[in-house]
Amino acid sequence: MTTQTNRLPAGGIVDRSRVLRFTFDGIAYDGHPGDTLASALLANGVTLTGRSFKYHRPRGILSAGSEEPNALVELRTGARREANTKATTAEIFEGLESASQNRWPSLRFDVMSVNSLLSPIFVAGFYYKTFMWPAALWEKLYEPAIRRAAGLGRASDSADPDTYEKATAHCDVLVIGGGPAGLSAALTAARSGARVILADENFQLGGRAIDDASEIDGQPAAKWVASAEAELSKLPDVRVMRRTTVFGAYDGGTYGGVERVSDHLASAPAGVPRQRLWKFIAKRVVLAAGATERPLVFGNNDRPGVMLAGAVRTYVNRYGVKPGHRAVVFANNDYAASTVQALAKAGVEVVALVDSRTGPSNEVTAIARAANTRLISGGVITTVKGGHAVKGVVVRTADGRSISLTCDLVAMSGGWNPNIQISTHLGGKPKWDDALSSFVPGALPPGMTVAGAASGALGLGDAITTGSAAGASGSAPVAKAVNESTAITPLWRVNDCSGKSFVDMQNDVASGDIELSEREGFRSVEHLKRYTTLGMATDQGKTANVNALAIMAELTKKSIPDTGMTLARPPYTPVAIGALAGHHRDKDFKPSRRPPSYAWSKEQGAMFVETGLWLRPSYYPRAGERDWLETVTREVNTVRNAVGIVDVSTLGKLDVQGADAALFLDRVYMNGMKTIPVGKCRYGGMLREDGILMDDGTVARLAENHYFITTTTANAVKVSQHMELCHQWLWPELDVQMISATEQWAQYAIAGPKSRDLLRNIVDKEFDISDAGFPYLAVGGITVCGGIKARLFRLSFSGERAYELGVPARYGDALIRALMKAGEEFGVCAYGSEALAVMRIEKGHISGPELNGTTTAKDVGLGGMVSTKKDFVGRMLLGRPGLVDADRPSLVGLRPVDRSERLRSGAHFVARDKQVTAANDDGYMTSVAYSPSNGHWIGLGLLKRGAERTGEIIRACDPVRNIETLVEVVSPCFVDAEGEKVRG
Amino acid sequence: MANPTLAAKSAFLGVQSLKHPAFTIEDLSSLTIASITSAKGKSAEVKAAIQTAYGVALPDTPLRVTGNGIAFIWHGPDQWMAIADRGTNNRDIEVELKPVLEGKAAVVDQGDGRAVVRVSGTHVRDVLAKGFAIDLHPSAFKTNSVAITHAAHIGCIIWQIDAAPTYEIAMFRSFADSFMDWLTHSAAEYTGRH
Amino acid sequence: MRITCPCCGERALDEFAYYGDASVKRPDIASPTAMADFVAYSFDRVNAAGPHRELWYHSAGCHLWLVVTRNVANHEILNVEPARDVARATQQLPTPGRGSA
Repeated sequence: MTTQTNRLPAGGIVDRSRVLRFTFDGIAYDGHPGDTLASALLANGVTLTGRSFKYHRPRGILSAGSEEPNALVELRTGARREANTKATTAEIFEGLESASQNRWPSLRFDVMSVNSLLSPIFVAGFYYKTFMWPAALWEKLYEPAIRRAAGLGRASDSADPDTYEKATAHCDVLVIGGGPAGLSAALTAARSGARVILADENFQLGGRAIDDASEIDGQPAAKWVASAEAELSKLPDVRVMRRTTVFGAYDGGTYGGVERVSDHLASAPAGVPRQRLWKFIAKRVVLAAGATERPLVFGNNDRPGVMLAGAVRTYVNRYGVKPGHRAVVFANNDYAASTVQALAKAGVEVVALVDSRTGPSNEVTAIARAANTRLISGGVITTVKGGHAVKGVVVRTADGRSISLTCDLVAMSGGWNPNIQISTHLGGKPKWDDALSSFVPGALPPGMTVAGAASGALGLGDAITTGSAAGASGSAPVAKAVNESTAITPLWRVNDCSGKSFVDMQNDVASGDIELSEREGFRSVEHLKRYTTLGMATDQGKTANVNALAIMAELTKKSIPDTGMTLARPPYTPVAIGALAGHHRDKDFKPSRRPPSYAWSKEQGAMFVETGLWLRPSYYPRAGERDWLETVTREVNTVRNAVGIVDVSTLGKLDVQGADAALFLDRVYMNGMKTIPVGKCRYGGMLREDGILMDDGTVARLAENHYFITTTTANAVKVSQHMELCHQWLWPELDVQMISATEQWAQYAIAGPKSRDLLRNIVDKEFDISDAGFPYLAVGGITVCGGIKARLFRLSFSGERAYELGVPARYGDALIRALMKAGEEFGVCAYGSEALAVMRIEKGHISGPELNGTTTAKDVGLGGMVSTKKDFVGRMLLGRPGLVDADRPSLVGLRPVDRSERLRSGAHFVARDKQVTAANDDGYMTSVAYSPSNGHWIGLGLLKRGAERTGEIIRACDPVRNIETLVEVVSPCFVDAEGEKVRG
Repeated sequence: MANPTLAAKSAFLGVQSLKHPAFTIEDLSSLTIASITSAKGKSAEVKAAIQTAYGVALPDTPLRVTGNGIAFIWHGPDQWMAIADRGTNNRDIEVELKPVLEGKAAVVDQGDGRAVVRVSGTHVRDVLAKGFAIDLHPSAFKTNSVAITHAAHIGCIIWQIDAAPTYEIAMFRSFADSFMDWLTHSAAEYTGRH
Repeated sequence: MRITCPCCGERALDEFAYYGDASVKRPDIASPTAMADFVAYSFDRVNAAGPHRELWYHSAGCHLWLVVTRNVANHEILNVEPARDVARATQQLPTPGRGSA
């Protein structure tokens, strides 16, 4: 037996042949495919759906669409639980579990509704007034208490199990909204051969024509809609996207949309995302987003059972549901009178039509008479009786009498607001339309036209006419329909009511709060918004904003256009963060780059570290090693005493050729590159134009007009961009050809006293790698492993005899295996970025912590490299007073006075006899390492007047860890200061 | 000690292919690629030399031209990528082009720096739209069209080789697995696999 | 925002990297006022609301540097030119230290 006591015996477009079972607050109900949660609840006689944000007032279903401020529920359970979902847009499916929110212990008996009694203190601005002092209590008392009491649903605290995607679609015409205007626009655009995308947030096309069960071309609107959809679906270049909200307009014809691919299903099918974020690139846009009905503002207008008149018609006509049994219709316009007809047809007794206008039109009078409904002209509802449900209303007549009427449903209409939001996202100001008593679009984004109710054309006939013309200019209407009468005399609020008259129901802002805001001087709409929080809820005040500013206009005795309108911003309706992230979360948050040795290093059990996007091996632990320090120490010792191998493929590599390559590099580097002999390398530094050190690396001259340069891993892209700027913008007359070769070469550094011996096992015999034939800083093309083309560089970052060997990257995996095998007899080990860092600190070589965007070449001890014989980027500003100040911190080495103490990077330096204050800060420790070669911790740092302070004992203060260490200032080079080892 | 012979390895360490009517992926790991960058004022000479050697006219716009066993892909103003299969005799396009373009252009081996996949299937454009923001509709992108762009935060060169449509996509080698993760994730809606 | 690259066609903003003012020209280091010139070149900016000539890099595309004329008040793009062409057209000073090539 069905639970659907309020489902009409016939009518609507739900699929009555199938029953879907769902629960709300643990109770099982029936519904049909085509139902929203709201329509199904109403069909089951459920009208109380939640508690309000601030006062915990009982709330029901106000609307039938995405403007809903009240009926916000939690859907699903566990990790898929989603809060603040609108019951009016959520489709039911078999097994849906839903729950009311913001109530404890139960929806009917909510302890926090005591807030309603305390409402005098919860007035507008109460956050600012009530919890001012003492400030310390904010964190401990006020905020936790407020957070528990306020807010709405509970988010799941588990990871989101669903997947999301992003996609881009291009079109000639994007039609936003699939009502009569949007469908007409799509039809004319498509018939003209355009690529068309029609997007509607609803799962059913047809908009108000379906909701009002209108006639189009002499047939029920649903039939016309179905035939229009069928025509569109046959065209290859037309995409009809239901359940897709276009939520924002962006520059350049870009529109954001979110497609709810699987929200209407119990769970997404395998491989299918829950939602997809769309970027629509459209040459033209037709905004046909319809209009939103305004509530009227009167006492207790938020009670469950007070609904928008248009929504009442939607529930009757589209869903075949009667939202009540005895209704009162309260309106200030003609259009709402059709609600009387719809209700009467559905067998609902309409007790009265309360029309605030003193002279309603003949049409309205006729409708009331036909339905045998009492017409109260010039009347207003002053209050609604009942708490959890409407029990009746009190009407004040034109002559001031009070009449009590018994009813369980109030259908209200304050007129319609065109949905202009998307037209204002790029800053276009809306215009006030007096006849409509609402804002209509003003200046539009380039390429946009507005059609139908969104443009202010509320009538069905006009919607089809304007839509048809918007889709392809000059098009005749695609169908015939009549215009409903929409005449209106505004009524912004009912005075002298009993009970709160709500304006913004989601944020619990009542008309009294607007009065208070005005009295306290917050009169501009922007101040009103922030002081009262009006329009700041997740519904962005779709049902509230115009009423609120009209009331403010009344209070300040200004016109509505002079009072102004707050700007709408994207998104039109909330968008899940998951959809914005798409594929890019967890391990896919950003792409990762794998160096050629990745697979081999993984096999070895290496630990990896992210360097930019690269995943570099950081160290290779071996069985029995207790911690990373032991591993790294072993790796360093192996390099210093035998031989080690590290993957340096991640360094940026650029191939630079051309007749002017030498001159060009001379202008890009601070030191001379023209004078490098062919077959040799040189260490180089690059500056920014402001004189700051940008990057360092090596420059190899392969031929007269052919260089091969390396950059740091982190700066590879930046340096390439910089060099392109130098080439294309500063010196386009130079003959230079540059291309990235980073990924072409798998490059390994082979370092240590046995490195040459190892290489002899790899390099083909015809190549001489003796120190005479291949000295320090040599470079050459060779072959390895029996004819594989390779490049060999004699470079050292570790301070040991070392080589870098590059082979085409497809051989990178095989080469590391071959190198390890070739080195077995010498006790070779692979080492990672940690050991590399230890050895560079031991040598006093700079890296990221010193190349930090604030240091000059001189600061880091490279001043001697700076050429004075040529122009180069940074040359002039290197000499600015600030950069040559003798007080500037410069690179020093540091070692603990007590050699057993550990150093910490980030520690700040203070002279031994000075107080530890910011004023006495002399610089900081940039890099530290345990130095196996010295047997204690060592550090590099930038110390004020560092060059003069060798031998001084200073304090290294780490206020974060609360550690202070006495350190001695020494040379930054801790091993082989004479550099004899690199030359062999 | 005898020198070991080095074996070439695909850039794709994980998934290397996918076969489904909706979407197919094929790893093209046997390509030889070289970049050609004209020396200053020498692009006409470069074009003439290529015309003579391969009988094709290098394009000035984002297009691909094909000759006998070789394709040239536009790669920016006065820049191209020459692409061929290494084949059984280990063809090396850099070695081949250098004498042809001596003094006219910089020729740099790029075959190992790029991973290339070929994709097709009934849903190929739907899958690619989940990462490529460019318009691949036949009215905007046709056989032999080329675009340098990015997909899923990974820089790519994409070109269309037939009207099926079949596309080839080149990316820097180190991104291969991340690219494939994105591609298979995006195809899962149509292939049912992930 | 979308920028029409002269080589690649219209592309989304995320393919481009913004650099800065394209109306300044790198000064001559040999000038007696070189220090002041370089300070102005590197740091002094007008920041007027309205059309602005600025350098953008098509980092995810053809790697061309572009001079984009953009109304910074409403993001309208008025013109896009390859920076190289603009630089060549406006190059007046002989480049100091030019080699034999």
